[in-house]
Amino acid sequence: MKSYLLKYVLQVIPVLFIISFLVFFLIFIAGDPVALMISDNATPQQIEELRESLGLNEPFFVQYGLYMQGLLQGDFGTSFSYKQDALQIVLEKLPNTLLLGSLAMLIAIIIAIPLGILSATRQNTAWDLLISGASVIGKAIPNFWLAIMLILIFSVTFQLFPVSGSGTVMHLILPAFTLATGTAAELTRLIRSSMLEVLGQDYIRTAKSKGMSRSLITYRHAFRNCLAPVITITAMQASVIVSGAIITETVFAWPGMGQLLVKAISLRDMAVVQAVVFVSAFAIILLNFIADVAYRLIDPRIKYE
Amino acid sequence: MINRQKVLEVRHLQTQFRTEHGIVRSVDDVSFRLDAGEILGIVGESGCGKSVTSFSIMGLIEAPGEIAGGEIWLEEQELTKLSKRQLRKLQGKDMAMIFQEPLTSLNPLLTVGLQISEVLTRHKRLSKREVKEQSIAMLRQVGIPRPEQVYHAYPHELSGGMRQRVMIAIAISCGSKLLIADEPTTALDVTIQAQILKLMKELRDNLNTSIMLITHDLGVVAEMADRVIVMYAGQVVEEGDVYEIYRSPKHPYTKGLMNSTPKIEEVRRKLESIPGTVPVLSNMPSGCRFHPRCPVARDKCRAEAPQMKLLRPGVQVRCWLHQEGEVELNEEFKRRAAAGG
Repeated sequence: MKSYLLKYVLQVIPVLFIISFLVFFLIFIAGDPVALMISDNATPQQIEELRESLGLNEPFFVQYGLYMQGLLQGDFGTSFSYKQDALQIVLEKLPNTLLLGSLAMLIAIIIAIPLGILSATRQNTAWDLLISGASVIGKAIPNFWLAIMLILIFSVTFQLFPVSGSGTVMHLILPAFTLATGTAAELTRLIRSSMLEVLGQDYIRTAKSKGMSRSLITYRHAFRNCLAPVITITAMQASVIVSGAIITETVFAWPGMGQLLVKAISLRDMAVVQAVVFVSAFAIILLNFIADVAYRLIDPRIKYE
Repeated sequence: MINRQKVLEVRHLQTQFRTEHGIVRSVDDVSFRLDAGEILGIVGESGCGKSVTSFSIMGLIEAPGEIAGGEIWLEEQELTKLSKRQLRKLQGKDMAMIFQEPLTSLNPLLTVGLQISEVLTRHKRLSKREVKEQSIAMLRQVGIPRPEQVYHAYPHELSGGMRQRVMIAIAISCGSKLLIADEPTTALDVTIQAQILKLMKELRDNLNTSIMLITHDLGVVAEMADRVIVMYAGQVVEEGDVYEIYRSPKHPYTKGLMNSTPKIEEVRRKLESIPGTVPVLSNMPSGCRFHPRCPVARDKCRAEAPQMKLLRPGVQVRCWLHQEGEVELNEEFKRRAAAGG
């Protein structure tokens, strides 16, 4: 267990390192933040002074080196636009995104498990066709379009939910549902296909030959054997939810990391962008780790090595 | 043979599958009976319908497959007339099955203990403690050392022989009178194979279990079975007691099978084989299904399908050779060789 943990941590370090480099590089080539920070009337001298004070005149690798130096000390830099510690700003928004993301994931799982199982156990029936069709559609619908449609139908026409903003549970429903659809569709398809594979296994035939009830065969014998891939993919879907949150939060004006990221990118607020990307990358790595541990608990054949 | 109680009787069983190429009949008009405490060997090449016959009896045929005709009597009950729900009450309790590959036949994520106890919980009114005690007792009965520990083990932690013992423990845990063993030793080492066969014989001797032993291994049949059924292309072609079949096979196919088995007391340059292959079920030859591979086939064999002919009580054969009385097969082979050159 100890060596397994150590191995995991050692794998994470280069991943985070590569992420930091990529984000830094992409923002470096994207344009000059000073142009946005300073008023149009500024003299070239003022611009030059600002550039100098922010260290933007240094060569790329020197800038990156300085940045990494701070990063290793837990300093993500100061936001140009908020005049605040970048990590601080991101961590303030993190709970909102976590709330939205977890609710979306929960909805996705609650939808996907029964539908996936139903379409596998009723393979090639009307149920199966309906569910498989719906999951293709669910996967194909873009979040921004679905978000606007949901607002038009449920907020504008029926006035059941607030259009946007935050504060109550009602504010959470539409964005969470929007965010959940793609993942629900993906998981439904995955559960269906892995259930179908498992239902053809010899041990299912054994369970049938023992006269076990249909529900025991489905849940105890079959579904448990699908859980390992389902957990892995669910953890991977976390990254889909994080990236989906960028659009969804913006459309619904949900004050989370996604919305913060969009603003920070448009302002080329490098420190904030870096911090958002870092925190999300870290969250996704953590989730994958939890998934890894979880399916080791489910499958006794996998040992910590 | 007197006082023998019938446990299983299959009458004119027909099992078919709907495929893209039309309906394929895997088991066609199979009949046999199995008495209490008897071991019936069913032999034949792959694809001859042995397994489908056993799945039909166990109620394990599912769409696109179906039992199209015939009757299956398990003691006083006719199984083909039962609903799925009624069948589930018998599966695991009055009839049980063990399979070829013990590793894949056990659920990898569930402990051995749970896999035995769930069948007890399903069919018997026992307390939790009694279920556990009885499960461990079953493991002990099939010769598993340290059954208390094995109860908590997962299948992958056991050897192949142990896994098959666990399968047998599950199968006999509710006192089933009928045990169907589908190639139970094919995936095991020879030494382990002997142990498992010995265990099954003990079950028969101690519990009077009737065993339907499906195998392609004639050695296993010779050692285990009281009576033998030989199947070819979905049909029974010969039935008889084990000595009779080995001493004087009636059907040319049975004789072919015997000849293609190496014998320890003989020196042979080359092992004989039956020419050709088992016909594809969707494209059966006319007449006798074996005629394209039969060394003594006549015109009649090509034109007309033979019926089962009772030669003596307990000895039946599906071959035109024997229709007007029993023929010595070796003589017939020699005669044919002389005539045909």
